[in-house]
Amino acid sequence: MKKTTPLLLLLVFGLLAAMFGGCTAQEGSLVATVVVTATPTARPEGAKTVLRVGTGDSGEGLTPHFKIIEMFEAANPDIQVQLEPVGSGDYYARILTQIAAGDPPDLLQIGDDAVPMFVDKGAFLPLDDFIASEQYPLDTSIYLPGVMEPGKWNGAQYLLPKDFSPLAIYYNKKLFDAAGVPYPQEGWTWDDLLATAQQLTLTDASGNVTQWGIQLPGPWTTGFEYWVAAAGGSLVSEDGANFVGYMDSPEVQRAVQFYADLYHKYKVAPPPADMNAFGGGNSEFDSGKAAMRLFGRWPQAGMKQNPNIDLGVAPLPAGAKRAGVLFWGGFGISSLSENPEAAWRFLRFYTGAEGAEVWKDWALPTVKSVADSSGLSNDPIEGVWLNELNHLAPRAYVFTPYWGQTADPALRRVLESVILDPNANVAELVATAAQEAQAALADIQQ
Amino acid sequence: MTDTPSSQRVVRSRGSRLARREALTFYLLISPWLLGLLLFVLGPIIASLGFSLTRWDMLSPPEPVGLRNYARMIEDRLFWQSLSVTVRYTLMYVPSELIGGLLLALLMNQVSVRGIRAIRTIYYMPSVLSGVAFVVVWMWLFHPEAGLINATLATVGIRGPRWLADPNTALTALWLMSLWGLGRTAVIYLAGLRSIPRELYEAAAMDGAGAGQAFRHVTLPMLTPTIFFNLVLSIIATFQTFTSAFVATNGGPLDSTLFFVLYLYRKAFQDFQMGYASALAWVLFLIILGLTLLVVRSGQWWVYYEGEQQ
Repeated sequence: MKKTTPLLLLLVFGLLAAMFGGCTAQEGSLVATVVVTATPTARPEGAKTVLRVGTGDSGEGLTPHFKIIEMFEAANPDIQVQLEPVGSGDYYARILTQIAAGDPPDLLQIGDDAVPMFVDKGAFLPLDDFIASEQYPLDTSIYLPGVMEPGKWNGAQYLLPKDFSPLAIYYNKKLFDAAGVPYPQEGWTWDDLLATAQQLTLTDASGNVTQWGIQLPGPWTTGFEYWVAAAGGSLVSEDGANFVGYMDSPEVQRAVQFYADLYHKYKVAPPPADMNAFGGGNSEFDSGKAAMRLFGRWPQAGMKQNPNIDLGVAPLPAGAKRAGVLFWGGFGISSLSENPEAAWRFLRFYTGAEGAEVWKDWALPTVKSVADSSGLSNDPIEGVWLNELNHLAPRAYVFTPYWGQTADPALRRVLESVILDPNANVAELVATAAQEAQAALADIQQ
Repeated sequence: MTDTPSSQRVVRSRGSRLARREALTFYLLISPWLLGLLLFVLGPIIASLGFSLTRWDMLSPPEPVGLRNYARMIEDRLFWQSLSVTVRYTLMYVPSELIGGLLLALLMNQVSVRGIRAIRTIYYMPSVLSGVAFVVVWMWLFHPEAGLINATLATVGIRGPRWLADPNTALTALWLMSLWGLGRTAVIYLAGLRSIPRELYEAAAMDGAGAGQAFRHVTLPMLTPTIFFNLVLSIIATFQTFTSAFVATNGGPLDSTLFFVLYLYRKAFQDFQMGYASALAWVLFLIILGLTLLVVRSGQWWVYYEGEQQ
């Protein structure tokens, strides 16, 4: 064995040298080579510019993308668009490695709370010059109120909106009618919410709950920001430097306490079936055993077809303030794109009026004229969602790119604690969380 | 362990041209794998050691920080929590896998030669299934209200725990879930059991040994190399537990299932702290290396190799 070792080494190093030699010799073409392997579809003939588009959507959700791409390519024969979908769980890991390797798609889709981090680190091109350009301008007044804000950072526009959802209250008219309770209306308050939920919570002779008043989204932190905003509080200072004095404020305490009381003291909300699932993993509303549900618009299509439900959607109740929060996805142009001009032409189509005409069948449209002409603005259900745009409070992430890695896990611990433990001390929990978040922030900025 | 079987030594001492040609062919044949290892595994491993000495968010260039990432772990509550979860889970899972797998193999060994193929396949099947798919199925079984487990318990009047939604039971639920994969270990044991010479049992029976004594003095000693093998593999794999927690609980509730590798993944791809995540990876590597060496060392006291001089 010893005698053969030099032979082995020679072989290995010979091959290695050949490979690395090959790489350095054609460094310029390396990127192009990688593009081909990433999407082994047919390459265009002639002088077409190829744009790559990264999205975290998958399955059915890809249909609108393909439709818009088809429309765009028909109108712009000099550009070919390749969609690169990555199953949602791995999407950020994938684009991070692509950026680190210097080879991300030309257009990238990201979600609201990822915007500050990616933009702050220079991953996206500012769009303001494109928007104001002479040849391919974009009229930003076509958009509904509030939907451009999540794509901004430090006053400049970096991403344009793809789709969005506010929060609202779903309710099951069947259960309301059976109990003779009037449907909730704009202007209702936390007290009204509690009273309604109590009237709709039913128990059997042995005290077991047979019907719940409201299904809440468990320890979902971003959803919880509604309660904080409605209580008149905020989770972080506007300069993004302080959690202490905000996360532990009396307003936040009041929001946490009321949320916990809905679970434990008033027992109008079913305990989460799956603390990890988006929205708590409960199925009570779908099975007709909960009268209301607080959530985004995402599962609405299924609810409309559910025979257990006669669906209505109510605006969010007001606490100390009338407030709501927005969830958002958008597209921007990678700062590493070699064809920013072509990328912009596609982006303004994708997220503009033409694209919105397609998106409206999958999510709420971002463009006002599309919402009006399709009748969505006056629809008894969709109109409620669109009206929530007039009451948006800023989410916490807009004040610091480090929200996700500092305060968000701390807030989650607070929510998990109060949901799991009926005797949890809210004041103590939020104080600890604020300090933990503050320490984590100091650690990162060190 | 240090003694090599004599037959091998003969071949080696020949050193003929034939042997050299054979060796060359061998290395040529494995060279694709070896190159893959060097380029796609060893390269990144070494790079990660470099990254562990930097602060790197993957979006801007890494900035060197010396050993700060390693020092940071000492005060990182979640680092200790994830280590504690991983160690507790290992202490639960490894013994249950070793003993459970052996019991399963002993049971399977009772079945006739014809039946064994089917049984072996059935028990091995879960190991080939996709990890994610099978975790999702188990999540339904563990569902506090609608799940099969609690529904069954309810029929006999027991109110089942909230399993994955309760920090007191979540880790146990993941452990129960993982026992589904016992078949893999059992199949290795079965191979070990089958290779024990029949004569030993005949001799034992002639000396008047009962079933229990035969197990204790023949089966168990002859199986020690298999047990050793399973132990080493099991420890290494358990310390790297990821999929079940990632899919079923994402570390919660209240960090009760925050496995080490899950925390590492979170730091790398959710918190954009690739430098710290790389440092975590190296600490995990050293822990596993240390444990493996410890087990290998201990082997000389309890592992019996046939043909070895006592």
